[in-house]
Amino acid sequence: MTATVHPDRNFKYWLVAPAIFLLLLIGLFPLIYSLIVSFMRIDMMDTDTSFAWFYNYKTLFKDSRLWWSLAHTLLITAVALPIELLLGLAMAYLFLEKMPGRQVFISLLVLPTIISPIVAGATWRLLFDNRYGPINQILGWFAGEPVNALWTINPTLVYPAIIFCEVWQWTPFMFLILLAALSNVDKSQTEAAEIDGARFIRTFRYIVLPAIWPVMAIAILIRGLDLFRIFDIVWALTQGGPGTKTETISIYAYVQGFKQFETSYTAAIAFLVVFILTVVCVWAIRRMGLVK
Amino acid sequence: MSDLKISNLHKHYGGFHAVKGIDLDVPSGEFTVLVGPSGCGKSTLLRCIAGLEETSQGTIEIGGRDVTYARPRDRDIAMVFQNYALYPYLSVKENIAFGLRARKFAEAEIEKRVSRAAEMLAIGHLLQRFPRELSGGQRQRVAIGRAIVRDAILYLFDEPLSNLDAQLRDDMRVEIKRLHNELGRTMIYVTHDQIEAMTLADRIVLLRDGLIEQQGAPLDLFERPKTRFVAGFLGSPKMNFVDATATRTGVKLADGTTLDLPGQKGLKAGAAVVLGLRPQFITVAGKTVAKGHARVPAVIELLQPTGSRVQATLPLGGASIVAELAAHDVSKPGEKIHIDLDLTRAVVMDPQSGQVI
Repeated sequence: MTATVHPDRNFKYWLVAPAIFLLLLIGLFPLIYSLIVSFMRIDMMDTDTSFAWFYNYKTLFKDSRLWWSLAHTLLITAVALPIELLLGLAMAYLFLEKMPGRQVFISLLVLPTIISPIVAGATWRLLFDNRYGPINQILGWFAGEPVNALWTINPTLVYPAIIFCEVWQWTPFMFLILLAALSNVDKSQTEAAEIDGARFIRTFRYIVLPAIWPVMAIAILIRGLDLFRIFDIVWALTQGGPGTKTETISIYAYVQGFKQFETSYTAAIAFLVVFILTVVCVWAIRRMGLVK
Repeated sequence: MSDLKISNLHKHYGGFHAVKGIDLDVPSGEFTVLVGPSGCGKSTLLRCIAGLEETSQGTIEIGGRDVTYARPRDRDIAMVFQNYALYPYLSVKENIAFGLRARKFAEAEIEKRVSRAAEMLAIGHLLQRFPRELSGGQRQRVAIGRAIVRDAILYLFDEPLSNLDAQLRDDMRVEIKRLHNELGRTMIYVTHDQIEAMTLADRIVLLRDGLIEQQGAPLDLFERPKTRFVAGFLGSPKMNFVDATATRTGVKLADGTTLDLPGQKGLKAGAAVVLGLRPQFITVAGKTVAKGHARVPAVIELLQPTGSRVQATLPLGGASIVAELAAHDVSKPGEKIHIDLDLTRAVVMDPQSGQVI
């Protein structure tokens, strides 16, 4: 009998070890380290770095500015997400049919999503400018008199402005994903439904929606998470103003961390966000039936 | 009264002219089969009838009502699709009930109709299952059930059996024929399979390149084809075509054999023609030559036994022809035999136009 050469069965683990190590280093270590920091008393004002245990977390509950920022975030998410979803779906239905120039239109429509959000926000700030911005000017043509709407300052106008930019930038994302999902729905099924006498709502409810749901749920989840962490557009437009009227949770964390230099407190905010998102995600993934 | 009347129907897809002016009249209760090779426009024609494709020109009347511009749901039709098109997220029962619910039938009526359709198709035990849990044959039954549960004027079948294996296809063919006899509804059936067409149809409409080549009862088309295309399309094995020259009383083959064609008129002596002879009308020579038959010698080149019959390839007049003989009439290739050609069943065609003379 000849001796069989047994390759080292554990060799494969060595091959992936560097990647795992790198992932742990840049992923897990900062997570754990910031958790530790959140239990300490670190700020940039003094040298006291002793353990404060749950002091920062107790402070969170008394910090009304934090809870308002959370409310602002939820408001933007709750309004923008359904609009993006419905608008994206409507556009996807529109572009499902073959038409001349379809590819060109789709490419043009997707452009906003390609632009960096901070650039988009800065551009919209200029467009919304009360004196030099074209938006007031165009509204003026319709009104027949000069319009001087303070889009980024007036508390009643600032949310519509933010949500408008957000919807402008991210509806194409929904559109593209839903277009791909809709294109995959078996056409003969919708044709059969049409011959069966079903109208749009019934066909959508029983045939199209179940087919596109896995993709649609992921799109909702991705956009929902993104919206909860919204920063760039709001920062570029209002910097959280007027006052703290449009401060989102991300903006508040940024201000605490890099303007007030409350390092440990910021870490605690970050962990609050992680906690909320984890709970929402786990719930959503179960609820949406993404995991059987 | 006719349930379907199509006048001068045209359909263009961009630059492609798929249906080129079709007139069709389908009487109530008839089983009409649209048959033809792929790309002949038969499926397009069916989709135009269903309203799934807009027509480019012409009119469609269903049940005496002009529906040329009506939506599919307003045409009073039911349809069975080639890939079944079952609703994957609804149970078999809800699949069948879908059209009734859409049309706001009462729950008791839905219950009654679904169970009757399920009984007819022997799928009562599958009602709670989902389409993905069914076999191909079962899915096809559900698709048919979904169509027959409704009282439509017109029932459309778009190649419903082409996704099934051969055995199942034969069974379902019988089933569909039985359903038609029981229901007595007007059915329009698209297929590319000439056997399906022959066995199912009250009337065959044979399409070619977007036009009706010939229509009529299956036997009529089989025995009296108007063109070489029809003659070649129907029948299995295919009709034999042998190049020949016309004589005053018949034809002369390339090797000099002359065949008298009884009752064949209109032949122009000396003109090039094509002789068409079905494999079934060639037999091994018996004691006497029957009237209207011709006896010729032949050497067997190839044998394909099919059980009770055998398909023998043999040369005739410079061409290779197939004869369908009884299984034990011949034994092996190379065997020298005499064959009788039934020339009363032969057709003669013009080689250019393909028209039967």
